[in-house]
Amino acid sequence: MLEISIFSILAMFMLGGSIAMISNKQTLFSAFGFLVAMIGLAGMFALLDSRFLALAQIMVSVGAVVVLSMLTILTINAKEENMPHEPNKFKWIIVSSILVTPFTLLLYKTLSSVHQNFSEMETVSSKVVGKLLFSEWVLPFEIVSILLLTAMVGAIVIARKSDKTSKEQS
Amino acid sequence: MTPDMFFLLTSLLFSIGLVGLISRRNLFVVYMSIELMLSSVNLLLATFSKVLGDASGSVIALLIIAVIAAEAAIFLAMIVHIYRENRTIDSDDFDKLKEGNSNA
Repeated sequence: MLEISIFSILAMFMLGGSIAMISNKQTLFSAFGFLVAMIGLAGMFALLDSRFLALAQIMVSVGAVVVLSMLTILTINAKEENMPHEPNKFKWIIVSSILVTPFTLLLYKTLSSVHQNFSEMETVSSKVVGKLLFSEWVLPFEIVSILLLTAMVGAIVIARKSDKTSKEQS
Repeated sequence: MTPDMFFLLTSLLFSIGLVGLISRRNLFVVYMSIELMLSSVNLLLATFSKVLGDASGSVIALLIIAVIAAEAAIFLAMIVHIYRENRTIDSDDFDKLKEGNSNA
């Protein structure tokens, strides 16, 4: 019973946050909705007994990704005329919701046809995850490290001021 | 607490992300919708990890978190670059690569 109430509260947080994210006009408020959804997701991971995943979610998604996107939003600080002009935004949202609803039902029906109960398993501690990561999943782990390095270098190269634009501004 | 509830939540979150991706033109909202869809898949992996009693699902979710971080870095750098050139964050304005477009 306690678990169900915790689940309901977290689910409300996540759904409310994500709906606020896609429907807000101000970009920063969307980022706050996204932050609430990510914190709710970390709580969901904790509820599913994946302790290490919850910690990683809080550290990476909340601590790095959301903060980075908020910093970018505040740095860019787009004025009203630079924002996209979306007069019938809610019409678009309603139409696309109607379009997406059958897909949602299909997804839910397919997933729930698995229909098993939760198995009795011990908490996924960092020890278990670390052992799996360095035995069975060591190749994907290395590939992810290369991907992160490439993304870092690529982000620096893309965001650097090119010579042309810096000359124009000076 | 049954897996069904988690499946319902996952499908709803994925669909909300899809709706945001389709209907909004603000680049930041598009970016956050993609992140939300990836995160809902993460939640699904963690749920299956618990349903099947196998910790490998958690490991895959961990790798996906790393991919999310990489995607965030690239996407935000691209937004900064594009904003510096065009002074807008409207995704409809980014048609430089379109054929026969001469305003670039």
